[in-house]
Amino acid sequence: MTKTVPCGNELHKFLIWDTAGQERFHSLAPMYYRGSAAAVIVYDITKQDSFHTLKKWVKELKEHGPENIVMAIAGNKCDLSDIREVSLKDAKDYAESIGAIVVETSAKNAINIEELFQGISRQIPPLDPHEKGNNGVICIHGGKPPSQGRRCC
Amino acid sequence: MSAWTMGTRALDKRGSFFKLIDTIASEIGELNQEMVHTDVSLENGLGPPETHSMVRHQEDPCPEDEEAKGRPRDSGYESLSGQLSILDRLLHTHPVWLQLGLSEEEAARVLQAQPPGIFLVRKSAKMQRKVLTLRLPSEFEVPLREFTIKESTYTFSLEGSGISFADLFRLIAFYCISRDVLPFTLKLPYAISAAKTEAQLEELAQLGLNFWSSSADSNPPNPPPPHRPPPADGLCPGPWRQLCLINGVHAIKPRTPSELECSQTNGALCFINPLFLQVHSQDLGAGPKRPSARTPPANGSERPRSPPPRPPPPALQSPHTSPGLSGTDTQLGMPQTVGPDTQENVAKLGRKPTPIPPPRLKKQASFLEAENSAKTLSAQPLVRGQELELEQGTAGSAGGAPPADCCTRAQPPPTSAARPPCHGGRQRLSDMSISTSSSDSLEFERNMPLDSYEGDTNSSLEDYEGESDQETMAPPIKSKKSRHSSFVLPKLVKSQLRKMSGVFSSFMTPEKRMVRRIAELSRDKCTYFGCLVQDYISFLMENRECHVSSTDMLQTIRQFMTQVKNYLAQSSELDPPIESLIPEDQIDVVLEKAMHKCILKPLKGHVEAMLRDFHVADGSWKQLKENLQLVRQRNPQELGVFAPTPDLVDVEKIKVKFMMMQKMYSPEKKVMLLLRVCKLIYTVMENNSGRMYGADDFLPVLTYVIAQCDMLELDVEIEYMMELLDPSLLHGEGGYYLTSAYGALSLIKNFQEEQAARLLSSETRDTLRQWHKRRTANRTIPSVDDFQNYLRVAFQEVGSGCTGKTLLVRPYVTTEDVCQLCAEKFKVGDPEEYSLFLFVDETWQQLAEDTYPQKIKAELHSRPQPHVFHFVYKRIKSDPYGVIFQNGDKDLSPS
Repeated sequence: MTKTVPCGNELHKFLIWDTAGQERFHSLAPMYYRGSAAAVIVYDITKQDSFHTLKKWVKELKEHGPENIVMAIAGNKCDLSDIREVSLKDAKDYAESIGAIVVETSAKNAINIEELFQGISRQIPPLDPHEKGNNGVICIHGGKPPSQGRRCC
Repeated sequence: MSAWTMGTRALDKRGSFFKLIDTIASEIGELNQEMVHTDVSLENGLGPPETHSMVRHQEDPCPEDEEAKGRPRDSGYESLSGQLSILDRLLHTHPVWLQLGLSEEEAARVLQAQPPGIFLVRKSAKMQRKVLTLRLPSEFEVPLREFTIKESTYTFSLEGSGISFADLFRLIAFYCISRDVLPFTLKLPYAISAAKTEAQLEELAQLGLNFWSSSADSNPPNPPPPHRPPPADGLCPGPWRQLCLINGVHAIKPRTPSELECSQTNGALCFINPLFLQVHSQDLGAGPKRPSARTPPANGSERPRSPPPRPPPPALQSPHTSPGLSGTDTQLGMPQTVGPDTQENVAKLGRKPTPIPPPRLKKQASFLEAENSAKTLSAQPLVRGQELELEQGTAGSAGGAPPADCCTRAQPPPTSAARPPCHGGRQRLSDMSISTSSSDSLEFERNMPLDSYEGDTNSSLEDYEGESDQETMAPPIKSKKSRHSSFVLPKLVKSQLRKMSGVFSSFMTPEKRMVRRIAELSRDKCTYFGCLVQDYISFLMENRECHVSSTDMLQTIRQFMTQVKNYLAQSSELDPPIESLIPEDQIDVVLEKAMHKCILKPLKGHVEAMLRDFHVADGSWKQLKENLQLVRQRNPQELGVFAPTPDLVDVEKIKVKFMMMQKMYSPEKKVMLLLRVCKLIYTVMENNSGRMYGADDFLPVLTYVIAQCDMLELDVEIEYMMELLDPSLLHGEGGYYLTSAYGALSLIKNFQEEQAARLLSSETRDTLRQWHKRRTANRTIPSVDDFQNYLRVAFQEVGSGCTGKTLLVRPYVTTEDVCQLCAEKFKVGDPEEYSLFLFVDETWQQLAEDTYPQKIKAELHSRPQPHVFHFVYKRIKSDPYGVIFQNGDKDLSPS
């Protein structure tokens, strides 16, 4: 899946890959995040468990992921905030502690999805001069998308 | 087509074929050329009139007198100029006019001694793009003008023009006959336009840059045919001619209707009809076809003329040039300056592979063999079928034959499988005619003996075979009948077929031609490149024990390919140079394809056998086999599948795709098929449930499908792709789905009843980690798209501006070594006077001998603020005014 986000004078083209989040596919994960510029780690605000799993993924990415990977935490299903189990403050505090972008989204109602990617776009380091020479489009191998409101981790 | 071909064949025998030709529209001129035999042409005399007029037009400096002279001159001209088309002349003599390395200064020096209309193609150091430098007549304010050549992914065009061309040669050829955005048409140097044989052209080509100062470039003649009004050629004495040129600029130039059509700049039309460029002649090459009376004595009418006075010396003289150069006598001066170039050129020619004939017989044999082998049953008849259809399609549209029955003819008996093959053929026909309708069939082969040309034809057949493998879903069991019948075609017809397919090689894109060219070169042991490749291939074949594991083997092959690619990109063994045919951002892609063809193709069988041996030896083959059985007996839910799965028909389709994948040698094409399989699975999942799925659902389904396909060989396939795919492609979808497929296979390999948790074994995890690391680390091995090991160095001479070159500089190469390399590359005579400088933040820093330029570059890149910086190789004590880097010079920045 690709998505193009304008950022300043540049157009950032996201190549978004979903990784299999299930435990039994865990060992495939490094292949998926290899060479990624950013990772979107999604949890479900109505499930405390998913927030714990998210922390495991963050740890894994810090240890084995590419250097300088931009991390974004997406609390999905914000349309169901009346049954939420994870408070926004918890998420914000945690995100701050790891230097990640955080945003609550609703894939169902397309809330904050654009903002999420713009936020990532702003943190992507500017292009190398030689890449500029090519076509001005950067290809970013994104991490886990919040598509379909599914919890990936 | 076969009906048509055979028909013409028969007509041919009756000797009335040319009547038929006359009725066929000019669009199929190429086909005609292919099919008309010498004897026919003999009687036919001259080609279609418009061909001549076009060529004459090009030669004629004064377009408006064209009408006045009318036909009679055509024949006169034609006998004078021989039968070489403009495109031929350009192809043969590119070492003369294609001077990518030439600086602006040097180009000016060369062209100022030339009459208006003469041109060079070089690469502008300032813009880092190719430019067409054109000599203007004296009425213009400046002696020269540059036109930038735009390169898109597939085409070349002049900036400001809407007409684009498949390659540089076609572009130039077009502008020799039509000015479009130019002030007037380009003109070939007299010696080139007057050469009568390819040998003469080759001789000129050997001079390379020296041509311009040599006596070969003896000047142009005044009136070639006696009845032509004398157009003076130099600058000074020809007021009349100048008038013409002015008219060429300001007045409406008469053009033939077809030419008008083709120079419309408003869009769609991209390529020119080859008839414009080509005298209808190459078939005639063999015999004495023209009444010799018409050919004036070779030197007759042209010799008496005295060369026109040389133009005044170039106004700009570099203070550094030797006095000999600054004088009017460029003839003396030039050889000195261009010495190295010439040597290079001569050396190049010496090494040149020229005819490249030997592999043909063998190839043909293997071709037949393949046809016989049951395995290729599916592909082969199809190829024929497509070809038949293709040809018939072309012939039909032109000759009016109804194309209606082509499908029935070409199509094998209907089967349950996917797309009808006919479809593939259709597609291709349109693809090809869109992309390169201007090609003329023999171009690169023209200088080869006829038989080697046929060899090429065969290889083009092979190309089609390769493609059809990919493009069409050949059902495994296929029409023995159609195959049989095509195979039993009488020899006569078969040779026609082959000839026809030669025509289609003309529809090949420049990319394909380049790949084929490189493949030919790789078989020619007279070239360094050919030696390299052949030696490596035989080494691998003969030393089965030299690799400890499958990974080890595949890795070395990948490494070899990457290195050879680098070599090719920098070497001068390719003729014509790859830059003239392929837009720059496509060069690596094309080279990669060529590597597959010349290295992986011959090695495919061997590599597969070796991989299997390795897997049998380490037990993984057996393990996979047993577990495949086990997994197949499970129902989908037990594998973790909670999404719709493909039904039997779909699984069968997928299986067919996997089987096709096995036939491919190119990892890229294999991956394409894998992607199609994955796409099909997704489609099935989504269509049957109406929702989208992510990786968590996809992986189990993929595992299920792979198990259902029950193909042990897939394991080897996946490994082949994972290790041999161009590293840059691993970042795309290909890498993603390869990972998924590998994961699925690992799940199967490790599937055991007691593995309730269904975790991937730790071994798999390790393997994946290693692969990840390795392939990531592989990125540091130089590949053209990965510029980490390259350093862009600008060379600055006070008088001559800036030239840039990209050098291979590994991380631990010192400045001292880079300087040495620069001295070599920029041909500096007194290297001790020069040094490498870093220009950053408007300041100059001379780099110490023991520093590492790549580290400096890395450091600069890693700074938070982007800096514009340049590595410049220049005189240590140079005057300060020399350097003007402006924002516009960004292109020069190291990449």
